[in-house]
Amino acid sequence: MVSVATSDTTVGRAQFGGLIWTLVRTDFKTRYHGTIGGFVWALLKPLTMFLVLLTVFSYVFAGEPQYKLDLIIGLFLYEFFQESTKSGLLSIRAKGYLLTKARFPTWIVVVTSASNAVITLTLFSMVLIAFLAIAGRTPSAAAIALYASYQLEFFAIVTGFSLAASVLFMRYRDLNQVWEVVTHAGFFIAPIIYPLGILPERVHVYLYAWPPTPIILFSRSVLVDGRAASPLAHALLLAETLAILGLGAMIYRWRAPRVAEEL
Amino acid sequence: MTASVIEVRGVSKSFTIPSVRRDTVREHALDFFRRRTSERLRVLESVTFELRRGESLGLMGRNGSGKSTLLKIVSGIYPADAGAVQVHAPVTPILELGVGWNPDLDAVDNIELLGTVMGMTLKELRVATPEILQFAELEKFAHLELRHYSSGMAARLAYAVAFRAVRDVLILDEIFAVGDAGFKERCQARYRDLHRTGHSLLLVSHEPRTIAAFCDRALLLEGGRIVMSGAAAAVADRYLALLTEPEPAGLKTGIAPWSAAR
Repeated sequence: MVSVATSDTTVGRAQFGGLIWTLVRTDFKTRYHGTIGGFVWALLKPLTMFLVLLTVFSYVFAGEPQYKLDLIIGLFLYEFFQESTKSGLLSIRAKGYLLTKARFPTWIVVVTSASNAVITLTLFSMVLIAFLAIAGRTPSAAAIALYASYQLEFFAIVTGFSLAASVLFMRYRDLNQVWEVVTHAGFFIAPIIYPLGILPERVHVYLYAWPPTPIILFSRSVLVDGRAASPLAHALLLAETLAILGLGAMIYRWRAPRVAEEL
Repeated sequence: MTASVIEVRGVSKSFTIPSVRRDTVREHALDFFRRRTSERLRVLESVTFELRRGESLGLMGRNGSGKSTLLKIVSGIYPADAGAVQVHAPVTPILELGVGWNPDLDAVDNIELLGTVMGMTLKELRVATPEILQFAELEKFAHLELRHYSSGMAARLAYAVAFRAVRDVLILDEIFAVGDAGFKERCQARYRDLHRTGHSLLLVSHEPRTIAAFCDRALLLEGGRIVMSGAAAAVADRYLALLTEPEPAGLKTGIAPWSAAR
């Protein structure tokens, strides 16, 4: 058996930052290309959506102020999950024109594919915290830090999924449709429109296995109620995050070397 | 310091051509128990050569002889099945540059995208972008989205980026095949400049005069094997003679069960 050595990448470590910035910037520009308001709309979207949902839910659920906030947080976080996993799954296919031009670390393309969704989520989080402050329920610094850590874990989960799905999509071209069905079904698995407590406790463990569930529940709990989940719950979430990220990285390492041949 | 910037030793490459394609989860699930066969198409067979520092090396061969696959392996885009490729200097490949821009972005953003992928820093790109646009004669269209460019304009832009991005080794697939006489002239002048300043160059062309004029040495690839290595003019002559001969049967390695092939 003869060994195979490959050439180095064209992008050195010094150029990583520039490449990441360029991918994020051009993705952002492409997404809002030609829309009325362009960049301004991108920035206003989370704010306007928040205000619209808040207004509508204030009428519909007038007697349950807690529920409307829970619902808004659940909807935004799930939208982040749907949008970022979808763009992650399609990322290598979408950037195939770069992959056949030069050798560079393609995982950057996968990781930066969630940038638009991350920007939206960050702005939403700022709007949410500002609203809570105006309503006289300012979250503590520790609560905000915990909330930020949940979103980091959410991003790691999305990255793990995207690494695996982006390379598998090159082999299974209907994977995006399969995933769309899964995420639609998953919307009802995650306790977004219903409280977890209405279901028997024995099924909770299965619902928690669906990654958006613990993120949504912990985020609501820490920001709205000011209560953090137990250390064991945090440990389980971290284990789930690391398992998804690790498995995604393994599948990516297995399939990525030949992905240019499948473009 | 080694005299070689690229060493290719015994590189082989095959592609698997299945009798029936399965590209979806549904097809894989429905045909799970159905046996299918595949054909192994060997594109490269024990290819060995080196590119020396400061050398301009030509690569010739008929369509389907394995030239583009070899360039992609040397550039690190495709993995080899067997053999070794050792690269001792930064490589800038110019491959398939007529296609593959982001059509929703203008020329300036596309230059930044391709330039960073080719290893340029943002600081370098800020200086280089006007030069790139000037080289491609596209200053007037700098802020026009690529969807409105002709294929020739897009290819000129790609050549201009790659010529500017090159650090040490330049790999070119069918250079000088783009643009009008003026642009070809500038490409040729840039190529000579790079050669004169000690860059190493690997050039693929079907044009014997190009190989003879721009290369110190050349290789002739036929049926996935190097059949001649020597002075560029001699290899170019041999290539012309080869075109009058029937093509080899190819390097298909027969029918194999799909499961064993992948």
